[in-house]
Amino acid sequence: MRFATRAFLWSFIPFALLLAGSFWVIQQRVQTTVRGGLRSSLREAHMSMARLQKENELQNSRFLQIVAENPSLKAGLQLLLSDRKSGAAQRTVEDQLREIAETLRFDFLLISNSDGLPLAGIVRVDDQLVALDIHRLAPPQQGFFTLGGSTYQVASFPIDTNSENIGVLSIGERFDLSELSTPTVLARNGKVLRSSVPNASAAELEAALGRCGERAECETQLAGGTYLTLAADSIDFGDGYTLRSLQSVDSVSDPVQGVLRKVFLFASLGALFAAAALSFFSSRSIVRPIGAVVASLRESELTGTLPTFQTTPQTIQEIRELTESFNRAAATVHESRESLQQAYEEFVGSLASSLDARDDYTAGHSRRVSEYSCVIAEEMHIGDRDLEVIRVGALLHDIGKIGVMDSVLRKAGKLTGEEVMLVQQHPSIGRRILEGVRGFQVYLPIVELHHENWNGTGYPLHLCDVKVPLGARIVHVADAYDAMLELKRFAGVQFDPGVVQALIRAEQKGRINRVAQDPAPSRRLLSVSRAAAERESLEGSMLEGKLG
Amino acid sequence: MLGRVLRSALLILAVGAFLRANDIDGTIVVQHKLTKRKVTASADLYQRGAAVKLGADREQDPLDYERSHVVVYVEGDLPSSPITAELAQQDRRFSPDLVVVPAGSTVSFPNMDPIFHNVFSLSKAKSFDLGNYPQGKTRTVVFPKPGIVFVDCHLHPNMSAVIVVTPNRWSTKADASGRFVLPDLPPGTYTVVAWHKAAGFFRKTVRVTDAGNAAVEFVIPLGEDGAVQEARK
Repeated sequence: MRFATRAFLWSFIPFALLLAGSFWVIQQRVQTTVRGGLRSSLREAHMSMARLQKENELQNSRFLQIVAENPSLKAGLQLLLSDRKSGAAQRTVEDQLREIAETLRFDFLLISNSDGLPLAGIVRVDDQLVALDIHRLAPPQQGFFTLGGSTYQVASFPIDTNSENIGVLSIGERFDLSELSTPTVLARNGKVLRSSVPNASAAELEAALGRCGERAECETQLAGGTYLTLAADSIDFGDGYTLRSLQSVDSVSDPVQGVLRKVFLFASLGALFAAAALSFFSSRSIVRPIGAVVASLRESELTGTLPTFQTTPQTIQEIRELTESFNRAAATVHESRESLQQAYEEFVGSLASSLDARDDYTAGHSRRVSEYSCVIAEEMHIGDRDLEVIRVGALLHDIGKIGVMDSVLRKAGKLTGEEVMLVQQHPSIGRRILEGVRGFQVYLPIVELHHENWNGTGYPLHLCDVKVPLGARIVHVADAYDAMLELKRFAGVQFDPGVVQALIRAEQKGRINRVAQDPAPSRRLLSVSRAAAERESLEGSMLEGKLG
Repeated sequence: MLGRVLRSALLILAVGAFLRANDIDGTIVVQHKLTKRKVTASADLYQRGAAVKLGADREQDPLDYERSHVVVYVEGDLPSSPITAELAQQDRRFSPDLVVVPAGSTVSFPNMDPIFHNVFSLSKAKSFDLGNYPQGKTRTVVFPKPGIVFVDCHLHPNMSAVIVVTPNRWSTKADASGRFVLPDLPPGTYTVVAWHKAAGFFRKTVRVTDAGNAAVEFVIPLGEDGAVQEARK
């Protein structure tokens, strides 16, 4: 996982969790508050309804008392009581009731005898006051009364004469839910009679209220929404009638929830962007320097050199510490590598010296050839790396002579053909010796091919011109120079004319003489006989010339 | 009784033999409405769905109504000739609502409505209570004494009628234009009384000669000049 991704997740996930948590808490809180508010508003509505009802009842009772005291109504009642069978008497009273109903705007009027037996009544149907069929209907004297799709709220008052009760006047008004401020349902024994709840059928309401059962206050599902309902139990509506008001929880909480959702959407988008930006910038300040370090390390992987990092005070402290400790480690590695190099050089040097020491004749030869080779290479503007290879390769070029018997190598006088063959094996032997040494592979071409001639007459592979590596060609020349007195003679035949020209230029500059006169430690150590070496080399060269 | 009637008849004949009787031609001037009547407007509302339609007032000039409800009669001990009149209860109203009869007359009160009525009066001139009676039944009452008799119905407080019992046969109602005639009065000086239910009594002295018809004018109520009507005496 990338650092930026990790930083983003670490910054965004807490944000997201915090946001989601607070959203949930606030949502719960809103729901609770909404329900509480609805509950109290329902209760208030009920209380005001009850108060209104009471006031109405009181007012109505005073006012209806007067209606009940109406002398002509009493006369009518008395007439009816005296002649109950008479249709004319009933019509007379019905007419009187109509008159009262019209004047006082009642919807239902009923007159009963003192035992509560209905005698005559009228009801308003389609704005017409029609006589009640009192023999079929049993209108109540209190509470609700449902007739022909209308529900009437009925109250009754005694009709007295001379403190004797002669009958009861019942007065009703159509019960209109639309006057109530909250949606209300009037039901009788679970059957909905009237409802002012919008978008809900009677069956749905019955099902919803059925779930509430006897509970006065309950929450129920209606038409896909949640409703809070409260029964008006402080008012007695009579036989099986209940009045319940309902409030949609959703309609109140939805707008708030909508606002909340919007706020949280914006907050979470903001958090997302903030986290992204934050993690981008913070990770960039870390990832960039690390990336630079990684890139140069990758490069050093290819080149094999350990880089040194530059730090500035602006760099993050941890990164600075990292690069500094890397630099220290690199320095240590460099040091140890150098000491290893030194040890290796010493080893190579001592190897060369031990070779030279085998024979006075070759004493100091390897070192001189190495130095000549270096001078030639410098003259040819060869890079430091290749120069180093040439220098060490030249030191080792005759290592294969270890495998040549002393009797042959130190033989005075002319070598037999067989002996020449043995001597000529020394580049291959040298190659075999060094093949097994790790890190010496770069010197193998010089060791193996330093007797290849420009014209292809050399050995062991008879390669010609540039097929022979330059290092080997240089060492070949240096070797021969050390051996030969008359180098120029062999240019174009045995030697690369370019290399010979370089040697001549070096000589003209006096550099060759300087090498010759320089009392190098190796030369002193080995006290070589220059003449002997020259003789051997010249002899070897001449032999090679003869062979070619 | 019979003797008194004969005597009166003789008197009239005697007067008639010597003097030519003449009429009193009168005019009632009503300058503005005297009663606050609710006319037909509320009746429609009132009678919706009713078993008995409430009688509606005719479309009438309010002043015509006032003029036609003024009763005029002559005071004095003049001969009376009792009659039989009818005051029906129809469409929950008394019909007519004003009846003028000389003392001693009989008035019948038939019920034409399919409902009960209960006609009564508490007036000083004649108080009676006919009780409840249904359609088709009737009751009669004799009014021996002159006076104003207000008639009501126990069951229907809105029903009301007036029976004016006059002392003699010289009595009448003005017509819609306010004209009235009290015919064939022997010459002499008479007190003519105009009565309106709301405005009260108005009296004027009229002298009837054999020269021709006498004329009288009642302005109801008082004129602008505020002159005291003689009628108040």
